[in-house]
Amino acid sequence: MAEFTSDPVGKSVPRIDIYEKVTGSATFADDMQFGPGLYYGRLVRSPHAHALIRHIDATRALQLPGVKAIVTGADVPKNIGLYLIDRPIFARERARYVGEPVAGVVAISEEISHQAAQLIQVEYEELPAVFDPVEATRPGAPLLHPDLGAYKVANFIFPEPGSNISEHFKLRRGNVDTAWAQCAAIVEGTFRLPQIQHVPIEPHVAVSLWEASGQVTLWTCSQSPFAQRDLIAQSLDIPHGNLRVVSPYVGGGFGGKAGVSMEVCAVSMARAVKGHPVKLRMTREEEFIGTTVRQSLVAHTKIGCDSAGNLLAMETQYYFGGGAYNDYGVNIARAAGYSCTGPYLIPNVKGDSYCVYTNQPIGSAMRGFGMPEIHWGIEQIMDQLAEEIGMDPADFRRRNCVKSGQSILTGMQMPPIDLVACIDKATEAIDWGKRELASAPHKRRGKGIAVMWKAPAMPPNPGSAAIVRFNEDATVNVSIGAQDLGQGAFTVVAQMAAQALGVPYEWVRVSVPVDTKYSPYEWQTVASRITWSTGNAVKAAAEDARRQILEIVAGHWGENPQDLEIKDGVVFSYRTEEELPLKGMVIYGLPNENFEGWKGGPIVGQGRFMPTYVTNLDFETGQGTRAVVHYTVGAQAIDLEVDTETGEVTVLRIASVYDVGKAINPDLILTQIEGGAVHGMSSAFEALHYDRQGRPLNPNLVDYRIAAATDIPLEIHGDFVETPLEDGPWGARGVGEHVMVPTAPAMANAIYDALGIRFSDLPLSAEKVFRALQEKQEG
Amino acid sequence: MFARPGLPSFDYVRAREPGQVIELLQKHGEKAKLLMGGTDLFPGLRDGAFHPRVVVDVKQLPGIRDILFSLSDGLIVGAAVTMNALVAHPDVQSHFPLLAEAAGAVASYQIRNRATLGGNLCNASPCADTAPATLVLEAQFILYGPDGERSMPAGEFFLGPGRTALRPGEFMTAIRFPLPPAGVAASYQKLGRCKAGDLALVGVAALGNPDPSTPSGYQFRIGLGSVAPTPIRAWAAEEVLTCSIPPEAAFSLAAEKARSAANPITDVRGTADYQLAMVRSLTLRALRQVGAGLKEGN
Amino acid sequence: MTHHTITVTINGARERLDVPSNMTLLQMLRDKLALTGTKNGCEAGECGACTVLVNGEPVNSCMMLAVEADGCEILTVEGLAPEGRLSPLQQAFVEHNAVQCGFCTPGMLMSAHALLQRNPRPTEEQIKQALVGNLCRCTGYVRIIRAVQAAAEEGGA
Repeated sequence: MAEFTSDPVGKSVPRIDIYEKVTGSATFADDMQFGPGLYYGRLVRSPHAHALIRHIDATRALQLPGVKAIVTGADVPKNIGLYLIDRPIFARERARYVGEPVAGVVAISEEISHQAAQLIQVEYEELPAVFDPVEATRPGAPLLHPDLGAYKVANFIFPEPGSNISEHFKLRRGNVDTAWAQCAAIVEGTFRLPQIQHVPIEPHVAVSLWEASGQVTLWTCSQSPFAQRDLIAQSLDIPHGNLRVVSPYVGGGFGGKAGVSMEVCAVSMARAVKGHPVKLRMTREEEFIGTTVRQSLVAHTKIGCDSAGNLLAMETQYYFGGGAYNDYGVNIARAAGYSCTGPYLIPNVKGDSYCVYTNQPIGSAMRGFGMPEIHWGIEQIMDQLAEEIGMDPADFRRRNCVKSGQSILTGMQMPPIDLVACIDKATEAIDWGKRELASAPHKRRGKGIAVMWKAPAMPPNPGSAAIVRFNEDATVNVSIGAQDLGQGAFTVVAQMAAQALGVPYEWVRVSVPVDTKYSPYEWQTVASRITWSTGNAVKAAAEDARRQILEIVAGHWGENPQDLEIKDGVVFSYRTEEELPLKGMVIYGLPNENFEGWKGGPIVGQGRFMPTYVTNLDFETGQGTRAVVHYTVGAQAIDLEVDTETGEVTVLRIASVYDVGKAINPDLILTQIEGGAVHGMSSAFEALHYDRQGRPLNPNLVDYRIAAATDIPLEIHGDFVETPLEDGPWGARGVGEHVMVPTAPAMANAIYDALGIRFSDLPLSAEKVFRALQEKQEG
Repeated sequence: MFARPGLPSFDYVRAREPGQVIELLQKHGEKAKLLMGGTDLFPGLRDGAFHPRVVVDVKQLPGIRDILFSLSDGLIVGAAVTMNALVAHPDVQSHFPLLAEAAGAVASYQIRNRATLGGNLCNASPCADTAPATLVLEAQFILYGPDGERSMPAGEFFLGPGRTALRPGEFMTAIRFPLPPAGVAASYQKLGRCKAGDLALVGVAALGNPDPSTPSGYQFRIGLGSVAPTPIRAWAAEEVLTCSIPPEAAFSLAAEKARSAANPITDVRGTADYQLAMVRSLTLRALRQVGAGLKEGN
Repeated sequence: MTHHTITVTINGARERLDVPSNMTLLQMLRDKLALTGTKNGCEAGECGACTVLVNGEPVNSCMMLAVEADGCEILTVEGLAPEGRLSPLQQAFVEHNAVQCGFCTPGMLMSAHALLQRNPRPTEEQIKQALVGNLCRCTGYVRIIRAVQAAAEEGGA
């Protein structure tokens, strides 16, 4: 690279990984070569949504030449999980969803492995199944986890043994019962969302090698190598230091590669064929229901405001359909619970958020982590309240949205943000308030707005660490445990390291792949936390390295380190104006006068960051000093058209504005905003469909359609405001998930503006819109 | 239950002349599958719908990739002509724009470089994009088998979802399109679940031309796709358009008749009710477009 | 026959290979030639991550048999520019930040490259239509379309 960028923080420097990606040389998990000793795995999956496993007969499969091993639940007796250890690695006494792995085959080729999988005979005894989360809470509903009470669980999650409820979060603030009487307008609604899937373009791939020595390696596309190591080590009884997780570039994660899904199957299968790496690949169909999905939700929400438009009370119940195993899901229900007001100040709140077992694929982390699901209903009710009291929906939000310093629903003080500025910019960009003509007589045009908030949903103590090392030529290697999923983590980390060190951006490399053997610890690449948390660790590591350098050079010059600076890779003194390039001295140190000894040596900077201020919340009220680290807020305004002859919706413009604290790389933020807007829009039309027996009807790209190039809005106006985050590096906070949260409700509000019709259930479709139009005409 | 990784094993034979194909089809019956573009074959192989012992590639048969046109004989399209080749051909664009429009509506550019006209028709999916156009253009399908060559009108070829009138040992070699009447205008309307790239949820191919022998002075042909076990002609709708009533009223009535002709099923892609309503909407659109084209022609 | 010997020209280099009947072109590229730039996203002709050019035309390599490629010229992402350089289109992708996770990128480049070869001045709608068969979950397509437009304006593929 010929470029030379000083002070890169705040500049739209090119992505650090873009060259490899445009040449096709970037290595993804399936690209890694393992040589002729590589074996291949295939999973046998339950065809039933709920069934006892009576018998597994692998005799015929084992007789097939080339088959090396077959693994079943009997071989892997422990559960796996993060917050709630509820999931068997291979089904043991029963299968709980269509697609659950029941056995794993290892063979010398994928073909033989597949053939052998067909030969395994499993005897099932079907059990009644339940698919609706509300149904699943009723007495008499099939019980998925009779042993719920025996599962190890994090101390902030509260399952109800003897039921299908894996988490119940309660929020009690003020007094809703008396507050309703003071409301001039009350709106109540039930909102339903189906399961949807991440659909990363790269399906999951895992390769594992279990050596006779006890060293185990897992190569996989992972957002969280350290979390995967932790969970797999515990469930397979491998000492942490013996398990190595390596993650090359990730071809899209969106939360689906954040935890453990199929990877632990690969490791279990590798154990059965020690010395041979085993590759397990998901077909696209398996990717849909055999990895993880976004939970379904049934939300009952009631909100009231006074005649001046001040929000007074909210009562809400969330029933998240968490699927057969609720591990990550319980934290989603919790996060939804402590965020249930949306970004609003509501003095009286009664919220109950449940995570519920259902006989469906595993609900888990997906971009937004509960926020898209709950804002779908909240943002529509806000519009309805505004309409009832005769207020513009944008003004209603300006009035009621949470402001810096206010005491929010958990009792925490809202850190500084500016949601009003986001609303102002978003509405301006689509000419809010101006009624514009549709493009044809049979079309109707409408505009809608939605706002959002989200906090990183984490345990109270998630840590990041970073190492900054110099090379002889003063280029820098930054080691982190965080992953670049495409969001640009490596780029901003390099920018921050360069800025804090005083070297050009182009001198910095980020060490890839992330490898638990060499990379420093990172809790997980989730929660839009990397710019903030890993950024802090990298900044600290860079400052540590800088301090070391200045001390050495100051000693060499007989000066005070405080009078020295590093700029563009050169140390200089403010006092004497002497200069010394970093090259060489960052490894070799500096000789004393007349070579009477040396100072310094190889410069290695280290840093870490872990928030220390998050507190637990009261079980009965959800109140606590500090529920979360911070919130990011934003607004989206949408201008769309509906074709009344077909029901088709065309989005004309999306304006999307977020308070990012500090834009480390402004253009990368805009690319996140654009991608998020399209993902949010697409998600409104997506749904996994099942038949009455719980069998998936559309686990493929033909019948589960995601937005293509011809579906995108005609214009996307992305923008941001910067209200610094107190403990963010240069004030930065995350935005990667937030950008898709309000799109669906903003669309619903725009459709209402166009047609006068509300949609409380997702997915949207041309058919649904058309049918609603027909009903309205007839009615 | 889930599609397998990669393809199952089979023998691959590249046929050099038609007799070879017939021999293999007769020898292996159901266990031989023909390969042209593979865009229906490959998914079927992965799904387990087909378990062929031998896959016979017919793309090298003489003429099967050719497009021939003459003003006297019309258009002859080899069965293995790809959708993109059809769309790009100047004679197709000039004289059979409906066919170009229908072929161009299939999936994506990449798929259209492989998907063939013959394959689309012989797969006989009710939602095949090119099928309504062949009905409306009154195409003849050229079939070749143990008893030699025969020609069959498109309307007799489709028997049900995935079922055609091909006899054992027979395969399609070409599709012949007679030159449409003078002054013709046509339109293919397709509704998918998204703007492009999808299968047809509803497909309507409409064609109209001046015809002094009818009261209205025009003749129309309407083909419906994806809304019945086979692609169908909307005869009653066509009848309406020969009557002497104002065009907009005729179009509206014809669209209603087209809706009555349809018999869609509800599945994960859409309900029967919606598809019926869309037959009406799309037929109306197609007819209006044809009407505008006819006016222009005058 | 269950195995075939074929001759293919890949990125300008002639190769002679022995392939099973049921091996797809995608499998041949990735598993026999270690040309892993071309990706497996669905094996169903829907996502376009496996797009390569066969005799100049983009196809889903997962939907073509290796044996069908006998005698053909194949261009993959690795062949877009000589080593160490970027084609004008690749350069445009860099300048317009048209890449995030990078998994769809090779397929996108191949489809876009072919588009610019056959239509050097595409409209925005034509670009979108040409890329319908290339799914992206990260970028929202905005920068990709912009990069193709920029490359067209510069007069290069």
